[in-house]
Amino acid sequence: MTWAQTEGGNDTIARKDSYGLRVGVDLSRQVLGALKDNYNGLELVGDFRLSDRWWLAVELGNEERTQEELLAETPLYKYTTSGSYVKLGGDYNTYTNWFGMRNQIHIGGRYAYSTFSSTVEGFRYFNSNRIFSPDELLIGSTEPRELSGLNASWLEFVVGMKAEVIKNIYIGITARLGHLVGEKDPDNFKNLWIPGFNKVTEGAKWGVGYNYTLSYFLPLYKKVKKKEVPEQE
Amino acid sequence: MKRLCPILLLFMAIIHFSSCEKDDICVEGDTPLLVIGFYDITDTTFKSVNNLRILSTDNDSILNSTTEYGFTDRSNSPDSISMPLRISETTTTFQFISGSSSDDDGNEIGNIDELQFNYTVESSFVSRACGFVASYIDLDIPREVTEEDWIQSINIIESNITASNRIHVQIFH
Repeated sequence: MTWAQTEGGNDTIARKDSYGLRVGVDLSRQVLGALKDNYNGLELVGDFRLSDRWWLAVELGNEERTQEELLAETPLYKYTTSGSYVKLGGDYNTYTNWFGMRNQIHIGGRYAYSTFSSTVEGFRYFNSNRIFSPDELLIGSTEPRELSGLNASWLEFVVGMKAEVIKNIYIGITARLGHLVGEKDPDNFKNLWIPGFNKVTEGAKWGVGYNYTLSYFLPLYKKVKKKEVPEQE
Repeated sequence: MKRLCPILLLFMAIIHFSSCEKDDICVEGDTPLLVIGFYDITDTTFKSVNNLRILSTDNDSILNSTTEYGFTDRSNSPDSISMPLRISETTTTFQFISGSSSDDDGNEIGNIDELQFNYTVESSFVSRACGFVASYIDLDIPREVTEEDWIQSINIIESNITASNRIHVQIFH
């Protein structure tokens, strides 16, 4: 299979590509924060074009989320996790654009680090023997207990796409699969949710995330694209 | 489109990952029961108690369940039985009745020994689905032995009760 812009190989116009910095914001976290009482979040994204296909990428974020774990209808415990994260890595554009287009379908990776605190707002004792409390699980504590100084690091696999909708304005979507490589667990609790990583699946240490970004590309300089050598059949 | 397909597949695989939920049912832990073993006072081997009844004086309930406590009311006891302790208080009192039966007026005619269990309650986090369970720390069973008592000696092997899978207290009779 050949692509239109490499056919013939005798182009007379040298193709110039824009290089620069793209900065943006994740819209999904903004929308979630507006819709839900128990969530607040902000994620800023940025990437810088390094070469024809490679982009240096970074995400900076801050999230706070309150969750309640239920047993059937009975609340078991409630906790709030709050903290910041940074993700740094690269994206590889797999999409070959037609002349004049600047879209991306990319895969990439990140190293991510989050520092956060968890507060156990209150809990009930889980007890399947109900002889002394037939009607409900007994309250263990209603005093918030803050567990600060927690951190986690993980590796993230990223797939996504970005489309230029207006000149230099992009919308993008990414899905992420993270795997924890290090974490500092709290005393008498666990890291069940980590800012930037999302829900921690027990035992497996996998996390799944996504974002929908709106970003602006700031062109800094142009570089002549090297002519692709047609593949020999 | 050819290049788009594998990327879309990856996308869907990642979304699929997020729906794998194995941690919604609590199987990892529970608030433990106190496990008591019954032994012969002379040769310290296991010895059954005839027609055992265990009655809580705190809420007048009778332990009666093979699955929960290991024995049914007024049956000859197995080597060991399990019993619950109160989480809301730091003391629980039970009447241990050997040879339990009722006379014509419904009065208990078995030999009644009352034991008071003192402890402190601690919480420990188990897992996402279970949350917190209680543990009983520094168990103490103060008592004075009298002539009529059928329980002759008590030995606490484990004073911290964090699991129900071993004997915490030995009762010799």
